[in-house]
Amino acid sequence: MSSVRKNKAFMAILYILVFLLLTEWLTPVITLTDTGHKNLFLIFIGISLVMALLQVHWAISAGVKILYITWFLIHVYTETAFFSIDAISYILSDLRVNFEALFAQDWAMTTDIFRTVLFFSLLWMAVYLIHYWVGFRLSIFLFYILTVVFIAVLDTFSPYNGDTAIIRIMVVGLMLAGLLHLARWLEGHRINETMDRLAGFIIPLFLMVAASTAIALYLPKAGPIWPDPVPYITSFSGEGGPGPGTVGRIGYGVDDSELGGSFVGDDTPAFQVEVEDGQYWKVETKDTYTTKGWELSEEVAEPVVYGNGERISTEFEPGTEEESVNAVLDMEQDFPFILYPYGTETIQMDGEFSYSYAPTDQKIQPLLSGAPVEPERVELQFNEPTYSLTGLRETTVEKLAELPPEFDRYKQLPEELPQRVRDLAAEITMNSETVYDQARAIENYFERNGFEYSLTDIPVPEEDQDYVDQFLFDTKRGYCDNFSTSMVVLLRSLDIPARWVKGFNEGVQIDVETDSDSEIYQVTNNNAHSWVEAYMPGVGWMLFEPTIGFTGTSQIDFDLDIETSDPEEQELPDRPEQPEVEDQDEAAAAANNNGPSFWERTGDFIADNKGAFIFGAIAFLLLATVMFIKRHKWLPKILVPYYNRRNGKQTFEKAYLRLLKQLDLYGIKRQEGQTLMSYARYIDAFFGTKEMTRLTASYEQAVYGGEPETVDWHELKESWENLINRTSS
Amino acid sequence: MNPKEQLSKVIDNIEKVIIGKRDIVELSMVAMLSHGHVLLEDVPGVGKTMLVRALAKSVGADFKRIQFTPDLLPSDVVGVSIYNPKDMEFNFRPGPIMGNIILADEINRTSPKTQSSLLEAMEEASVTIDGVTMHIPKPFFVMATQNPIEYEGTYPLPEAQLDRFLLKIKMGYPTPKEEMEVLNRSQLSMPIEDLQSVISLEELLELQRQAKNITVDETIRSYIVDLARQTRVDPYVYLGVSPRGSIALMKSAQAYALLKGRDFVTPDDVQYLAKFVFGHRIMLRSEARYDGISAEEITERILTKTKVPVQRLVGQ
Repeated sequence: MSSVRKNKAFMAILYILVFLLLTEWLTPVITLTDTGHKNLFLIFIGISLVMALLQVHWAISAGVKILYITWFLIHVYTETAFFSIDAISYILSDLRVNFEALFAQDWAMTTDIFRTVLFFSLLWMAVYLIHYWVGFRLSIFLFYILTVVFIAVLDTFSPYNGDTAIIRIMVVGLMLAGLLHLARWLEGHRINETMDRLAGFIIPLFLMVAASTAIALYLPKAGPIWPDPVPYITSFSGEGGPGPGTVGRIGYGVDDSELGGSFVGDDTPAFQVEVEDGQYWKVETKDTYTTKGWELSEEVAEPVVYGNGERISTEFEPGTEEESVNAVLDMEQDFPFILYPYGTETIQMDGEFSYSYAPTDQKIQPLLSGAPVEPERVELQFNEPTYSLTGLRETTVEKLAELPPEFDRYKQLPEELPQRVRDLAAEITMNSETVYDQARAIENYFERNGFEYSLTDIPVPEEDQDYVDQFLFDTKRGYCDNFSTSMVVLLRSLDIPARWVKGFNEGVQIDVETDSDSEIYQVTNNNAHSWVEAYMPGVGWMLFEPTIGFTGTSQIDFDLDIETSDPEEQELPDRPEQPEVEDQDEAAAAANNNGPSFWERTGDFIADNKGAFIFGAIAFLLLATVMFIKRHKWLPKILVPYYNRRNGKQTFEKAYLRLLKQLDLYGIKRQEGQTLMSYARYIDAFFGTKEMTRLTASYEQAVYGGEPETVDWHELKESWENLINRTSS
Repeated sequence: MNPKEQLSKVIDNIEKVIIGKRDIVELSMVAMLSHGHVLLEDVPGVGKTMLVRALAKSVGADFKRIQFTPDLLPSDVVGVSIYNPKDMEFNFRPGPIMGNIILADEINRTSPKTQSSLLEAMEEASVTIDGVTMHIPKPFFVMATQNPIEYEGTYPLPEAQLDRFLLKIKMGYPTPKEEMEVLNRSQLSMPIEDLQSVISLEELLELQRQAKNITVDETIRSYIVDLARQTRVDPYVYLGVSPRGSIALMKSAQAYALLKGRDFVTPDDVQYLAKFVFGHRIMLRSEARYDGISAEEITERILTKTKVPVQRLVGQ
């Protein structure tokens, strides 16, 4: 019965593949839990698999494993020699302590040694289970799917990077599934093949897997059309952001409604830029603070579309330097927007591109014949804005009251904002005379009052907690989001218009272009950043950098000569009446309609039409199910012409077997122990024909009589067709 | 004349005497064609003797009958050497076993010693007396009858001996209609007296040779092996079918295919004969008896459980 299972070489290949698959399980576990000695664990798995393969007596196998585990414990946890009296007694006393702790349900008392023993037991069980799946069931599919899900989940929700692991799993899994299918097939047909013959299957299978993987690896791949699922899932489940102690990954994200939580670095390249000096690269701003994070209010004005190379009007007037500066961005990730420096004048890309500038969030989106695209190489002309010190000195607090209503949305604050935040803002700016001085005072406040920059151990505010309040008074540690959000809120509590900006900082200089006097910067996900823009009445919008350790200040012209530009001039022409932003939901909806991000739109489209999608999917599934269940109705329509055209030696046998299957689908089941002839008689009695007996007699002649050549398919065709058509009626 | 016609002529001929038992007649022919012997288990008077006599007459064979009694001795079966004072030497007087077709009536009434003398002769088709081996003329066919073993005063055949019978058949009573017909025919004279032979002994030997050449496909062989293996693992079975049983099933299936005019064996042949080949070869545990399950039921269950091969083996 177990022909393939006795083929040791074949089984050895299977077990090697299983070992590789188990390695993929072990690696992230070891990495994420900071466990050492990965190789020693792997050796344990290897030993277990070899003993399973050789079918070592269970007592010997268990003995060897226990010996290994004991050796591991002594080797890792004690300094003593192998199996010295000391070591053994140490292990035993440790185990005793742990069992006492277990019975007392005092989980914290258990030691590492005991946990290691438990981990080994887990590995032991896992190997046993897989041994059962591979060695007895000859089926690995479930385990394979579990592995893929496991790695995908870890890759998505943990710092573990499964990019290459998933490829390895794919290769190993396909090989395993293929070989096990072969094994089941051999067993089903009771074939006992030698390894030489099996190699005829195994080698092509391996080549197929290798070739398809290689092709898949080197083919160009489209970017993800689905937004990062993590915020989507978390927002959907209402959990809201990574909880305290959870770890996110740095990078440019779309959803800022739930700030907080720790981050780990991610040095995935975002883009490279060739520019004279490092710049802050702006993406967009957000205006509505929700006590937990940022959202965008409804669209305030239609986006303005500019052509290639056409002069763009952002809310920052280019500076007065004689010559504009050139910047060339080579994108290494697919962003559906333009990253632009302060004082941008023109944008240039190869091709018929236009650029849509959204006044709501200042996002610039490249368009190709009206449709959003993801830029690859962007050339920008810009002139860093400069601010006249004279003008800044005249930014009196009284002027704030005269600002037009368009600025109201930048003064928004949630009603629940604790009073002590407002009090703090007043206290910080007690001695400041102008708006500009107030802003600078707040900007510098953090550095001088014991705040700490940190990516780790950053909590997420509780349900009734304010994000800013928590940072300012409780934790006093955080990263750019904490600093910038706090500054915006503090400014707003003084009625100074301010907004929260997202983008990237200058990155790391990696090269110097000697002939053009420019520098090359590498910007990675680690450089994703947020900062502050505040409105100086009579001067305009200005960049502020409250985050400790970052230096993104605006240029100040101390000549006191430059004419300050009228705020009205800086505003975009024909800006419509700004709607009141009160309803948070409405704001979110507006953000959806407005946000030109391709991801956002895809995600939102699906979210908006969720009902339709679910309905469509269910309808499709239902249809497919019905088609599948009723396949005996339509299959003959395909089968009859197919077999009619065929003329090979085995055609009749295949056609006959097909007929059996078709009859089975029709509902007349042949029992396992029922002979073809008795089945045929039953079929004939059922249909009132004689054809099945006739066909069966010929089939028996071909199969049991070993004389397939005596059967004439042409003569039998009609009977066959007649019967198969009856099954569809 | 092809084998099927020859054989149906024989069967028709026998049916003149044995009414409504065509399957039994066929099975007896199957056993004879595959050099086997038959154990008929039934109550007296249902036509066992008549069947064997008709068979012998139809093929023109020599018919002998041994009535087994508790005091029968082995020498009464195989023969004995008697000292002849005239010639001053021992002369061999062959026993009734030295015939073509033997009816061993009520075999379980005699002592095991005498039983085994018969069974050894059946297996080897020869007898050895005083160091001299004598071959029994061919064809050699024994039909042994036994009363159901629950009856008083019987010596049940040991398992090893039962294995030597190719088939075990139960005759059964005729239906009322058939019994009426029996009465009609027996009113004036026993019809057996008028029976003529329809084929010669040489023709019978030729048919035996042909039966050996019937194709048994690989799939069928593995099916037979599967069935035999299943009897060995059945929880109710104490002793399953031996490899000799597998051989018996294959040989009888070949003969049955010949009888049906086919030159290959089908799973139907195997299934039909399995009951008669396996029935006496399966020793049941006492649990089976408590549960009221017979060897025939076990065989039936195995037949429904075991996959019938419907496809050619790959690479054939």
